[in-house]
Amino acid sequence: MIRFISMRLLAFVPTLLAISAVLFVAINVIPGGAAQASLGIKATPEAIARFNREHGLDRPLPEQYVAWLGKVLNGDFGKSLQSGTPVGPELLKRLSLTLELAVLAFIVANLIAVPLGCLAAYYHQRPADNAFIVLSTVMGALPNFWLATLLILLFTVTLKWLPPGGYVPIMEAPLQNLSLMIMPAISLGVVSSALLLRIMRTSMLEVTASDYIRTARAKGAGRGVVIWRHALRNALIPYLTVGGVEFSLLFGGVVIVENIFLLPGVGQLALIGITQRDYPLLLASVLLIAVVVLTANLIVDVIGAWLDPRRVRTVGIS
Amino acid sequence: MLAYIPWRRFALLSIGASVTMCLIIVALFAPLIAPFSPYEINVPERLQPPSAIHWLGTDELGRDTFSRTVFAARISIQVAAVAVGIGLIGGILVGLSSAYFGGAWDMIFMRNMDMLYAFPAMLLAIVIMAGLGTSMVNAMIAIGIIFIPGYARLSRATAQIVLRQQYIEAAFSIGMSTPRILFREILPNIATPMMVAGAIGFAYAVLVESALSFLGLGAQPPEPTWGEMINSGRGQMAAAPWLGIVPGAAIFISVLGFNLLGDGLRDFFDPHLRD
Repeated sequence: MIRFISMRLLAFVPTLLAISAVLFVAINVIPGGAAQASLGIKATPEAIARFNREHGLDRPLPEQYVAWLGKVLNGDFGKSLQSGTPVGPELLKRLSLTLELAVLAFIVANLIAVPLGCLAAYYHQRPADNAFIVLSTVMGALPNFWLATLLILLFTVTLKWLPPGGYVPIMEAPLQNLSLMIMPAISLGVVSSALLLRIMRTSMLEVTASDYIRTARAKGAGRGVVIWRHALRNALIPYLTVGGVEFSLLFGGVVIVENIFLLPGVGQLALIGITQRDYPLLLASVLLIAVVVLTANLIVDVIGAWLDPRRVRTVGIS
Repeated sequence: MLAYIPWRRFALLSIGASVTMCLIIVALFAPLIAPFSPYEINVPERLQPPSAIHWLGTDELGRDTFSRTVFAARISIQVAAVAVGIGLIGGILVGLSSAYFGGAWDMIFMRNMDMLYAFPAMLLAIVIMAGLGTSMVNAMIAIGIIFIPGYARLSRATAQIVLRQQYIEAAFSIGMSTPRILFREILPNIATPMMVAGAIGFAYAVLVESALSFLGLGAQPPEPTWGEMINSGRGQMAAAPWLGIVPGAAIFISVLGFNLLGDGLRDFFDPHLRD
């Protein structure tokens, strides 16, 4: 197990380095973009050249990358091109909100997927099973930003139950925080639950077809008891792997959902970075999300290996 | 042979193909179907509810929502088609060459693909758009690039199975050239799974294109796009809820149609289900 964790940790660093390089190149693929965005379309070539020189943007891309990486390793994410304030502290301030949103959305996804997936397996090849599969297909086709719009239309505009947006830290006012976070979490979580529901159903069907479940049934255990007490733990192993990937994918949606619900998170900062072409801001935001995503994958891998030691042996052999 | 196919089992394929066909027809014949120009501003008619003249109402500038929704289908289909094309060509080139040459080539390419695959695709598309700048063509490129890792993994895995077949050994033994083996022998035999993945990819491309235009990163106004229509409609939610509902429903139906088509094609080509 220790070897497994060590190997995963060793893979973490080069992956992060490679992702940072890809992001850096992708953002800086067109030279001069930041200067143009900062100085406006009427900026003279001299002003653009001066801006690029001041911010080190006139150097070759590999040189810029190495310089940026060196600073990042020392905890310096650079300064915003627009406001001139350090990016690092701003990011850390916003990270807790984004993490809270992702975790809440993941909880919503699991609250839908686990019970409905188990019920679909329980009612296998009966109308309820088909209904849950249709539901999963429908949820999978919903754009999260449209669902968010519909939720606002229903709960804010029509029923006036929930506020349209904004943020209060959970430590200051937990209930108000929940009322502000529930619609963003549902918008992200419902879409994520579509795949998870199917995985839960398939996984549960595979487990319930195994010998030990037949033995439990032969000994007189009811179907419900077998599903909830005997099969669920084993069915959760493949589910967990897909769940980890889905948790990572949630971070793709936070940029949009934070923007809709006026949540001052890392996603919103990334969007400000894009619209204002504030590259240090954008790069730092996306890199931070990459670290969170890779860490989440690492944790899921370790939990999966702990639940299913065969996985550790397979990695050892390969 | 087609007569032996139990068509009722392929209901998904039928529904998906019907929805997709409708969508393509709407996109192709948008100028004939739309009763008004999608760009025509008519301020006195602003925020009209659905009526006999404006079937799905009008927006804040008095433009016909139905016409804009119909024309937006064009952009979505165009972007999705080019993006999936870029993804398939890039993914197949990387996957085929990795499977064929193996060794260090395979390791370097596929580790890079795995790394990109682990990163949220939506976020990657946004980052690429930030670098390239906002436009419809750049949206096509950005979405195409995010498809490459997934298609590369799939084409590599299926090509590795094909490479173990006897007819490939025979092709090697008669001295067939590498490009000929790759594109005449292997490529046609991995076409089916790639086609299924392409159909499912189409659904995701429509979603990502809508998300990018929602954020203002896709095709720029006054071009009508479903994402941009939802975003501008959010401001009029109390007075004109249809502005948020209609384009979202169009995205939902399109994504559902392409997903069902992809699932249906997968079932259709699955020998277990056919037997």
